[in-house]
Amino acid sequence: MAWRREFVARHAPAVLSLVAGMAAWEIVGRHTDAAFLVPLSETLERLWQLAQTGELTRQTLSSLAIFFVGFALALIVGAPTGMLLARVAPLRRALDVYIMIAYATPLVALIPFILSLMGFGFAPKVLVVFLFAVFPVLYNTVEGARSLKPELVEVARAFRSSEWALWREVMVPYTLPFTMTGVRQAVGRALVGMIAAEFFLSSTGLGQLIMNASQNFDTAGVLAAIIIIMILGLVLMRIGRMVEQHFARWRV
Amino acid sequence: MSTAAETRAPSEVLPRLYAGAAILILWQVVVRAFAPAYVATPLGIVAAIPHVLTDPAFLTGGVTTLLAVAEGLVIAVLVGTATGLVIGRSTLADRALRQYVNAGYTLPMIVVLPLVSLWFGYTGAARLATVVFAAVFSITVNVADGARAVPHDYIEVARAFRSPPWRALIEIVLPASAPYVFAGIRLAAGRALIGAVVAEFFTAIPGLGYFILYNSRTFHHNEAFVAVLLLAAFGVGCDALVNWATRRYLPWYRRGEHVE
Repeated sequence: MAWRREFVARHAPAVLSLVAGMAAWEIVGRHTDAAFLVPLSETLERLWQLAQTGELTRQTLSSLAIFFVGFALALIVGAPTGMLLARVAPLRRALDVYIMIAYATPLVALIPFILSLMGFGFAPKVLVVFLFAVFPVLYNTVEGARSLKPELVEVARAFRSSEWALWREVMVPYTLPFTMTGVRQAVGRALVGMIAAEFFLSSTGLGQLIMNASQNFDTAGVLAAIIIIMILGLVLMRIGRMVEQHFARWRV
Repeated sequence: MSTAAETRAPSEVLPRLYAGAAILILWQVVVRAFAPAYVATPLGIVAAIPHVLTDPAFLTGGVTTLLAVAEGLVIAVLVGTATGLVIGRSTLADRALRQYVNAGYTLPMIVVLPLVSLWFGYTGAARLATVVFAAVFSITVNVADGARAVPHDYIEVARAFRSPPWRALIEIVLPASAPYVFAGIRLAAGRALIGAVVAEFFTAIPGLGYFILYNSRTFHHNEAFVAVLLLAAFGVGCDALVNWATRRYLPWYRRGEHVE
């Protein structure tokens, strides 16, 4: 039964620490002001209520719509631009500093400008998610395409490959794994962008769920919404990592 | 994206200057042609710089925000390095704490704002807590990776010389994971800056973020953008500082063997 002992040794600390964490939450929650923290049981009850009324599903879908549209745009714009910059060296040399600056700037600071230019509604929120997600995709694609060995391009050229075939057969397949690393990094940032847009532009989706609960001093509601966002984050991150690993298989 | 040697070559500088000028001219022309008068333009921003720089709200705001970011980063580096070392070297600690660290790392830090403002009130303490929360997990995750990657031989030698485990941790594991600490700080600095700005947006406590919020709401976009430039400079500055420190103090660590 060696495998069983191994199984217990591997998972017991995690289970024990999770149970301890939940117990601590429950006990602290019962002995503090409800405005400060509520017990886990009350939070889960609130979560169940939200799920039953259908509000949870509705708000999650509303948030995911913003996330996926913004993310798709970031990928559609970021990946081809990145490859173009890598292929056209003068363009890359001229622009890389500005991309680096945009990457290092806290783009949340632009939200008030977006608000007064585009107002409320769907488009400005998508723009926020796009801005948050596009730079990791762009940056990683450029770095990846830059590491493309000149020999590969030369061989393609020697065989009189057209520019189009060069892109299709060499550039895109070579660069895709790097782009996917950018995609994985962009997931976390896009999530922050999504919630930031829902907090600071008009409040909708999961951001609205948190904001309403917080304004009503409904601590259980705030915690329930945070749990949902955490689960959503873990799922999306896992998907991002799976996508990255899938493409990493042909990375050289 | 570029090394220092590249930046200094004159053939690299000119295209960048041209591109920068092109971006600014395009921005100026497009905004002037299509956008309302209050929208920020490069010329408007330059014109706004003198009176923004003498505006006490901007000066005190800038100082408080950047000090809060620095203070939060120091706390996050200390806590994150300590927890990271332990998680990286102890299987038990790793298995017990991994899910908490991962959850904290994955959770978009912005969702803690309502809780943090509930716990700390609409004060600077709420901002500091947000900054620490935003920064600490990326350091823990990176340092744990670094501590895990320490060659086993080093530890063996320490053990052979009967060094107590904590000394091995401080004197061998910590220096060996230094590149990871630096990579973690680089990541954390960006997140800390975002944390400070969103905390100010949320709680409306004075600082650079609030300066941006207030001025853009009153249609002073040029003034607000000066604060964005300061934030960008701070972000780029942190990046450059960490890169420089890595080259200066960890010359054995080759660039390109990038830790994420």
